[in-house]
Amino acid sequence: MNRRTIVISFICLILVLVSGCDSRGKPTPPQKMQDEQQLLIGLIPEQTLFRQIERFEPLARYLSRKAGVQITLKILPSYSNIIDNFASEKLDGAFFGSFTYVIAHEKLGVQVIARPEGEDGKSTYHGLIFVRKDSGIRFIRDMAGKRFAFVDKATTAGYLLPLAYFKQHKVNYKTYLKESYYTGTHEDAISDVLNRKADIGVAKNTVYERLADRDDRIKNELLILERSPDVPENGLAIRKDLGEDVKKNLTKVLLDMHNDPEGRAVLKAFGARKFIATSDADYKPIYKYAREIGLDLATYDYRNE
Amino acid sequence: MKKKIIIGLSIFSLVFLVSSVYTITTIEHATAKMDNLIKLHQVEILREHLLIQIKRAQSDLYLKDTPYARSVNTIVADVTTMSNAVNTCFNCHHAEQVANRLKNLRDKVEDYKIDLSRALTLRANAKRLRTEEDHAFQLGTELTDEVDNIITIANLKLEQKTQAAFQEITRTKIMLYFLVVVVPIAAIGLSVLFIQGFTSPVQELLTATRQLKKGDLSYRIDGLKDEFGEVAESFNEMAKALRDDSLRMQWAEQLVVLGEMAGGLAHEIKNPLAGIKASMEVLSMDTTLPEENRDVLQKGVEQIKRIEVLLKGLLNFARPPKPHFMSVDVNSVLDVTVGLALRHPQFASRDSKTITVIKDYDSHLPKTMADPQQLQQVFLNLLLNAADAMPDGGMITVETSRPEPGRSLHIQIVDTGDGIDEAVVDKIFQPFFTTKPHGTGLGLAITKRLIEQHGGSISVKNNHAKGVSFIITLPVRDGEEVQTI
Repeated sequence: MNRRTIVISFICLILVLVSGCDSRGKPTPPQKMQDEQQLLIGLIPEQTLFRQIERFEPLARYLSRKAGVQITLKILPSYSNIIDNFASEKLDGAFFGSFTYVIAHEKLGVQVIARPEGEDGKSTYHGLIFVRKDSGIRFIRDMAGKRFAFVDKATTAGYLLPLAYFKQHKVNYKTYLKESYYTGTHEDAISDVLNRKADIGVAKNTVYERLADRDDRIKNELLILERSPDVPENGLAIRKDLGEDVKKNLTKVLLDMHNDPEGRAVLKAFGARKFIATSDADYKPIYKYAREIGLDLATYDYRNE
Repeated sequence: MKKKIIIGLSIFSLVFLVSSVYTITTIEHATAKMDNLIKLHQVEILREHLLIQIKRAQSDLYLKDTPYARSVNTIVADVTTMSNAVNTCFNCHHAEQVANRLKNLRDKVEDYKIDLSRALTLRANAKRLRTEEDHAFQLGTELTDEVDNIITIANLKLEQKTQAAFQEITRTKIMLYFLVVVVPIAAIGLSVLFIQGFTSPVQELLTATRQLKKGDLSYRIDGLKDEFGEVAESFNEMAKALRDDSLRMQWAEQLVVLGEMAGGLAHEIKNPLAGIKASMEVLSMDTTLPEENRDVLQKGVEQIKRIEVLLKGLLNFARPPKPHFMSVDVNSVLDVTVGLALRHPQFASRDSKTITVIKDYDSHLPKTMADPQQLQQVFLNLLLNAADAMPDGGMITVETSRPEPGRSLHIQIVDTGDGIDEAVVDKIFQPFFTTKPHGTGLGLAITKRLIEQHGGSISVKNNHAKGVSFIITLPVRDGEEVQTI
């Protein structure tokens, strides 16, 4: 046994002793957790997986404390994945994208309860089709033979908007384009066009604007060609059979958190002014948009090809 | 010795203080080193943990889309922990070069996270997928190399620091052992020195005292210093005084014996001498005796008278009459004696060379038990001596005082004569010692004897200016005290 091993053993011993000392007299968290209801909330990769979890974790902690439920976040690698795995992963709810919610509502019966209102007072977003300014692409005709970066088949901005765009111009993108693929996140779609990995990209305006604030190249080098109608911002939807008390409690905390200083701080870090009550009726524009495109939500295959 | 004790205590305190401060400082220093080492080892664990996390993420990338792949949620949690581990490094202070390297590492980790996320979420053709995965994998490999490199360098430095710390702790340990051994030895050594410093002089003093007790009054202490030196000096002075007193006592005893012998002889001579003197006086009255023979007889009678005076003095000295004590006002006795002295031929028949007597009495002088006749004899003797010492006239001051009120009184007779040669001052009260051509040498010896019969003492000293002062000290006693003697 060399000196280093002795020192490490000594450190471990001290840590064990210290942790042993510290634990005395404290409440036993496992017992507390057993008493509280635990909720597993899914997240879609709106931003990179890591940024998304960083953004939602303070909100989850706040809700856990205030609503008396133990919320655990679970990030999923794609929008469509969340619909597929909602039941198998035993999710109690998820922050769905607007189109993802509509599909999930149709297929799983989840119910939306609230969605954030941005600092600018808007509780909606819209999709954008963009290219590099120096790409020369300005119209549909310029897109022939180009590479297109979708986000996910279950997103409004990342798929419905370009689908509507191509339908409007009577173009079958699968044959018209050289390549199309799904980045999985809005951030990556923007990043790919910016870094010339794709020629045309789509993303939601909120992510686009958030990135543009951090990176001037987005404003200087990208050009927006098309935008979708406004649709409700990503909201929290819960499984239909979740207890009414929990649902009410959760809704109340979300809707009141802007009245609490601590809640306001959490909202600010989250990038919202407050949460507003939301119902399925708020998603009418999506249903209308899908109908206009000609999608049958009951049979729509939302899985990325 | 006091100085030595203070210095000794200061040395003890200083040694104790220095040892204590050194011990505390070294323990603090060693603890700080160990604490630092523990922190460094913790950081090392953190770095190794980071490396494991990166390798695990690489493994996740490699196993993606296989049955062995872990859930995205787990991967995200692990990579987030990895990212937090890197950020923890920024909690500590680092040199600029290290800080830059750490910042570079953090940036790479962030890039890796983006690539990893992209590889996990991307749905595209195989080529694009492969490109993105390869890119993420390449970045992960670079990150692994970077962290591995940092770990290697840090481990090397840590090993060096650990070695240095252990060496220092070993040095400290040796120093502490040294102190543990040396400080008590030094303390014992110093204690022995101090004890010796105390006991040796005490032993010397004890030996000297025992020698004195045995009667060796010539024993002297030599070689002691400081306070013990002063004690030794006092001891030597005491031994000398004892030796002198002893000699004086022997001399006094011899004188008493001699006086008694002389007194006995005088008593035996006195009667035949009276017969001779009477016979010679009868013979001298014979008218038929030629005038020159009568003169011879007259001179013989005069010489016999001188012998009688001498014999009387001898008898007075050898067998002084017992004092008849009564309460006496010394001032009054002095007054009377001065009056007698002034009528004495030695004062009266001096033509113009007069002697002035100044009286300076303490009006509150208490009465004491004494023989007024003997006191008068003493005072008269001293006054006549003073007159003898001033053949050209002068001044005699007669003074009484109380040096210790209630306990004793002083009578001082001061003249303005030529004084006494310092060499004979000590002998002046010895019998038969005289500086006068026709003196018997018994006057002052008798005076001293009479004063001593009263429990007092007499001393003489030359005045600063001129003449001598005789100082008589008499105890103030009442009748009861005299009866108990």
